[in-house]
Amino acid sequence: MHETPQNAGYMIAAYVVTAVVLVGYWVRLAMKLRAKS
Amino acid sequence: MANPLRAALILAARDIRAELRSRTALTSALVFAALVLVVFNFARDPTRLGVADLAPSALWITFAFGAMTTLNRAFGIEKEHGALDLLRLAPMPREAIYGGKLLANLAFVFVVEAVALPLFVLFFNRPIWHILGPLLLVTALATIGFVAVGTLLSAMAVRTRFAELMLPLLLLPFMLPPVIGAVQVTARLFADRPLSEVTGWLRLLAVYDVVFVTISVLIFPAVADE
Amino acid sequence: MIADRARGRSITRRGLLIAGLGLMLLAGVYVLALRFTPMEVSQGLAQKIFYLHVPAAWTSLLVFSVVGITSAVYLWLRDERLDLFAASSAEVGVVFSIIMLTTGPLWAKPIWGTWWQWDARLTLTLFLFFLFVGYLSLRAAVPDPGERARYSAVVAILGFLLVPFVHLSVYLFRTIHPMPVVLKPSAPSLPDSMLRTLLIAFAVDLVLYIGFVTARYGLGLLAHARAAELEDRPDA
Repeated sequence: MHETPQNAGYMIAAYVVTAVVLVGYWVRLAMKLRAKS
Repeated sequence: MANPLRAALILAARDIRAELRSRTALTSALVFAALVLVVFNFARDPTRLGVADLAPSALWITFAFGAMTTLNRAFGIEKEHGALDLLRLAPMPREAIYGGKLLANLAFVFVVEAVALPLFVLFFNRPIWHILGPLLLVTALATIGFVAVGTLLSAMAVRTRFAELMLPLLLLPFMLPPVIGAVQVTARLFADRPLSEVTGWLRLLAVYDVVFVTISVLIFPAVADE
Repeated sequence: MIADRARGRSITRRGLLIAGLGLMLLAGVYVLALRFTPMEVSQGLAQKIFYLHVPAAWTSLLVFSVVGITSAVYLWLRDERLDLFAASSAEVGVVFSIIMLTTGPLWAKPIWGTWWQWDARLTLTLFLFFLFVGYLSLRAAVPDPGERARYSAVVAILGFLLVPFVHLSVYLFRTIHPMPVVLKPSAPSLPDSMLRTLLIAFAVDLVLYIGFVTARYGLGLLAHARAAELEDRPDA
């Protein structure tokens, strides 16, 4: 049984990217609403 | 009005005549074929990469490019002469317009393939007589597959501003199953594998053709009509 | 399509509210996945990317199907609202595709030792992305609304039909060329706790989709209303 690989970096990157994309999209839509109101 | 099949054939014949006069698609496709041949032959290490490894890919890259060039010009004649709308007004069933274009495009691409294939045989030094039947079959099936969708997509792309960019972008996903299947079959044929190994892929290609030709014929009116 | 600004605005706000809720739920999923779901010992922490990548992929595929089916109904009924809904869905679909395409390699590299593999999952990922991008590019390139709606509907329907073929092609390819793996991916039977987290993450993605598509739809109505107002306004 080999030891657990240390690959947290990838995980952090993936979680950060996902959050940034989704929050970023939300912000973009919100800004578009403000621009058009 | 004359029956749709006849209308389609007339349209196809006109396109073919026009291309025979200018021959640009054919020429560029052949130049590309020669380029691919030269590059592939000089880029490989003959001691490690056998001909059978590269020839199928090289062949299908050439065929795919030939199809792309042809399709770019598919409705180009009408566009050049501002006749796109005239085509729409013609008293022909829409399906016939699509059919005619499809036949013409297939004819062009088959010609490119017919010329490129002997060139490949020559330069890769690969006898193909014993596999000619299956090879022609897979070529026909795959070509019909991507030319059917390509004809439909080019009818739309030609009306956009960046037609030459739009068509490849739209067509790429639709070329992949036929080309993947074709390369797999061709590779096996070149490696003298038994035919039983390729029937699965050939069936997939055939189904692809039936589905996409049918859907293209049915959906073309939505593209052509107001 | 009748649209007034107020309606467009209220729909957009409702959508943003739902999506905002979704984002908070997503934070909850993060906590659930990172703290309260057991780690897969043989794969390490990177395995947890699974809880983001797979739901995003399922959502992308679902959204793509929605776009395809809505487009087919549009061609039949010619109701502009269907077209707007399809376009809105497609935009949201691209967002989830991007997540899918970025988390995929980030998961593959530590688990399989390679950034990319031509297996069924990742290949389909790429295809969906290309199809979404093609759909949206086509829309951007066709100025006339009626033509735009018809053309993009055609592409959506064709793309929808393509998906099973991509799957079959890759499957046929795979059965002959098994892919090498560095570490074995998760065992076929997923432990309940992991399955639960996965499904919750998927549900949250669905909430996000509903919120985002509503908001995007509302913005589309707003744009339509403004365009209509500009037309009606008498020249000064």
